[in-house]
Amino acid sequence: MKKMKFSRKILGIPYAAFLLLFVAAPLFVLIYYAFTNGQGQFTTANLTGFFSDPNTLGTLLYSFGIAVVTTGVCLLLAYPTAYILATSRLKAKSVLVMLFIIPMWINFSLRITALKEILTWLEGNLAYHPFLNTVIGMSYDFLPFMILPIYTTISRLDGALLEAARDLGADEAQAFLKVTLPLSLPGIISGVSMVFLPAMTNYVVLDMLYNSTYIMGSLIGSYFAAYNWHGGSMIALILLAIICLFTLFTSGMEEENTRGGTLL
Amino acid sequence: MMSEKKRRRVISGFVCGMLAFLFPFLWLQMDADAESDKAKEVILRVCNWEEYIDLGDWDEEETIDLDSGNVIGESSMIEDFERWYYETYGVRVKVEYSTFGTNEDLYNMLTLGDTYDLVCPSEYMIMKLMTEEKLVPLSEEFFDKSDKNNYYINGVSPYIRSIFDNNEMNGKKWGDYAAGYMWGITGIVYNPEEVSEKEASSWKVLSNPAHRRQITIKDNVRDSYFAAVGAIKSDLLTSEEFVSRSDYKDNLEMEMNDTAPETIDKVQEYLQDVKDNCYSFETDSGKADMITGKVVANYQWSGDAVYTMDQADEDDFTLAFAVPEESTNIYFDGWVMLKDGIGKDAAKQHAAEAFVNFNSRADNVIRNMYYIGYTSVISGGDDGRILEYADWCYGAEEGEEEVTDYDLSYFFSEDEKEGEYIITAPTEQVYRQLFAQYPTKEAISRSSIMVCFDEEQTKAINQMWINVRCYNIHDIPGWVWALVGAAGCIGAVLSIRKWKASYRG
Repeated sequence: MKKMKFSRKILGIPYAAFLLLFVAAPLFVLIYYAFTNGQGQFTTANLTGFFSDPNTLGTLLYSFGIAVVTTGVCLLLAYPTAYILATSRLKAKSVLVMLFIIPMWINFSLRITALKEILTWLEGNLAYHPFLNTVIGMSYDFLPFMILPIYTTISRLDGALLEAARDLGADEAQAFLKVTLPLSLPGIISGVSMVFLPAMTNYVVLDMLYNSTYIMGSLIGSYFAAYNWHGGSMIALILLAIICLFTLFTSGMEEENTRGGTLL
Repeated sequence: MMSEKKRRRVISGFVCGMLAFLFPFLWLQMDADAESDKAKEVILRVCNWEEYIDLGDWDEEETIDLDSGNVIGESSMIEDFERWYYETYGVRVKVEYSTFGTNEDLYNMLTLGDTYDLVCPSEYMIMKLMTEEKLVPLSEEFFDKSDKNNYYINGVSPYIRSIFDNNEMNGKKWGDYAAGYMWGITGIVYNPEEVSEKEASSWKVLSNPAHRRQITIKDNVRDSYFAAVGAIKSDLLTSEEFVSRSDYKDNLEMEMNDTAPETIDKVQEYLQDVKDNCYSFETDSGKADMITGKVVANYQWSGDAVYTMDQADEDDFTLAFAVPEESTNIYFDGWVMLKDGIGKDAAKQHAAEAFVNFNSRADNVIRNMYYIGYTSVISGGDDGRILEYADWCYGAEEGEEEVTDYDLSYFFSEDEKEGEYIITAPTEQVYRQLFAQYPTKEAISRSSIMVCFDEEQTKAINQMWINVRCYNIHDIPGWVWALVGAAGCIGAVLSIRKWKASYRG
């Protein structure tokens, strides 16, 4: 038994080394740069600079706007799709699910390039609708990440609960609203966090679809291109903090819901 | 206390682990010992722009059949160099070749600890590296014209050489530190059916409402700044009085590199207009969008302009190139050696300089030019093949109706005697590839270099750029705030109710 423990520790070493080297160390470098100036002295100027600059705040809100709208669109598209997929009695169901996964196997920039051509064909000139195109591009790109978790939670749903609801006099709509929807919340939450966070920083989609306004990712890039490591690191750090808050919040909600689920 | 047995096990486990960890290194070390005869091999770390050297593998039909012999890239220039260096100097050299995307990327790579021996940045970055004393000067042997292997000094265009020798940074000539590679100017590639030559010949085309959302501009602060300065000072720069002054060139350079706060403010205002008027700020999509007809004009470097027009020709789609009347940016990419890499290693420096020379040999220059589309700084000296190549590319076929004599003496001739080096080309080429590849003397006469900005100036124009590109929080319309506020209120009310419910429960 003791021997077993020993070897377990050894097995953990590679991962610990990986964490230390590629997660912890870069994070320390990031924090160091964020709180120092060009001369290597400690400063909070980068932090106050972020919150007093109308550009960085505007960019934060713009990224937020894109992420919120993208997540909303994805949710509206994904939930009915996942619901139909999960509840249908089709034998070819797994094939249908595959159809939603297959696009993820195709290279991302290739997909966006194809989308660009389709949108040009539809709209004529892409430059007139940069926000719309960005949302379409991101939704197209992230949709599978929303469908899959929702599909999984709905298909794992206990049918007996729905039967019980009907026995107690609930009609279809009530059963959906009171049983299916609350129980599929964990899927929605993990889908939202998988779409919302990348949508705030994925500036490649903006570049490829001709949106010339910066979002958080491109703003960090522009700081680095101007050799301003300190300001750029601070933005990255603040973004990290936002993501942490978001994850804490959603995992808290998830916990509450699973508790509610078992109670039910 | 640990038992003796356990301790032994821990120690042996530790030793085994260490051995497993070190094994690859030990093995590599042994490998190195075994091939100690290779110790003489010189490692040369080269970092160049992406797609900026001939990588070989040409098809048979791509052979350039000049009268003086065929030129074809069978293997990559790097392999050819290694072979040539061994044959010529009897020393093996191994080139570790890598690439960078922008001058700023390269600078960041260098400051973050990547070591290279030979790199190829643009002139303003060369100046920056010179100011920071990061460069090793070229050796005296490199400039020895009597050595026939010194292809660079024997072949470089006198025009380019004079620029490299007349421009100084901190009292030192560029030419002492940098050997040119490719050069060109900036201008506008346009579709002549949609945009007139007159329109395309001014930087103001970028904000021209007649072509709203149909023009792309470079996503790069220095290039955009240059174009915007040209546009806002258009009246001054094209005025008879300004152009006819004897110190026109110096004044032009000063005006184009002006970073006075009022100028920066005006540039910001202008670029904000451009942002609303243009199709997009592009890094790489401009060429393809020009060819597919998504846009009608595109701010471009001359080398990429040649490529764009060539590609469009294949689809029977005619594009042209114009150089703005106000001024054009003349740029150079040049090889410089880094102190961090070369140090005092004479063998390495010799190999680095030989690499530059090998790439300056006429046939290799032609291969590189054919492969990447840019124009080499090499005119060939006594070797006539480069002019022959230009004629092979753009010269008129026999029996062609409309032809024009295109004078390239300013570039090829030692004493700039006009009429000495002439290509007879189809007239349309005066507005197309030939013009972009070798601009006329007249276009060159209004060119200005970009000087290297100091820290304060860099900061100011970068802030300007961020102001242009970012969404300003003051621009957010009232209804968005109302919406956000409403959503916040609803969320707060819901969570309070939920909290109350769970509290009661």
